[in-house]
Amino acid sequence: MLYFEDVELGDEIGPLETEATDDGVLAFCQVWNNRTPNRFTDQAIAEEANLPGPIVPGIMSMGMMARLLTDWAGAEALKDLDVVFRQPVPHHKPITIAATVTDTRQEDGENVVECDILMTGAEGERYVGGKAIIALPSKP
Amino acid sequence: MATELEYDRSLYGIEHDAGPFEVTESQIQAFSRGIAETNPIYTDAAAAKSQGFQDIVAPPTFCTIMVHRVSLPDIGLKFGGKPVTGGMHAGQRVQARAPITAGDHLTASSHLKEVYPKTGRTGTMVFIVWETTFRNQDGTVVADVQESFIRRG
Repeated sequence: MLYFEDVELGDEIGPLETEATDDGVLAFCQVWNNRTPNRFTDQAIAEEANLPGPIVPGIMSMGMMARLLTDWAGAEALKDLDVVFRQPVPHHKPITIAATVTDTRQEDGENVVECDILMTGAEGERYVGGKAIIALPSKP
Repeated sequence: MATELEYDRSLYGIEHDAGPFEVTESQIQAFSRGIAETNPIYTDAAAAKSQGFQDIVAPPTFCTIMVHRVSLPDIGLKFGGKPVTGGMHAGQRVQARAPITAGDHLTASSHLKEVYPKTGRTGTMVFIVWETTFRNQDGTVVADVQESFIRRG
């Protein structure tokens, strides 16, 4: 269990090394009621949209970023995740997700940790960036 | 440079309602599989119940898949007098307020939050931001989701 007192400004969270598979994206599109094939699942449709190949849906990338934070802080700790989609994310390519603590404070009786979070590629691509707010318990 | 931004400002203050959307165990499991989630409360009902939850729990950004079932009106954007259509999903924000579990029925209420121009190296872009509040069957707010879209002038 992670406590507020264990966290310091500048602490690094992760990295989480992962990749999106064709099957994972397809399952995600189905639960999302997004009609397939589409630019997330099909090479030809992606090319028509001027993409080199099928891409990972933005909200799926966001879900993977949330996973880094809930793995670190616990399931109920993530209060706010605000991301900007900067570049298309390809399938079957290494993805690194990492965050850095930028502030720790007490606010309205809650212990709040703020961090910057970034999803990057093996060639230095900055796919998705954002900020998160996490609430943590005090040490008993 | 003056920015001539026209759109349907009467949309401010109007709520667009959608739902109810039933949250099922298989939806949550497929979402969790897509993001390679391993926390058992997000993948296994028995594990979630053993930790005091009603049922299998949705990961914190789960509501983002529901936003796409809300149909939002066209804001009639004109830039420098010319209509602008198309657009890209630019960003997303989720504020998680309360747990969502399988068996919940969620309703969505969406409104236009803001429209603003931004000028960068590649010219001027317009950001359109919608905000959707999700409530469960008890009327509890479970999440607020903001989506922003970019259109190029």
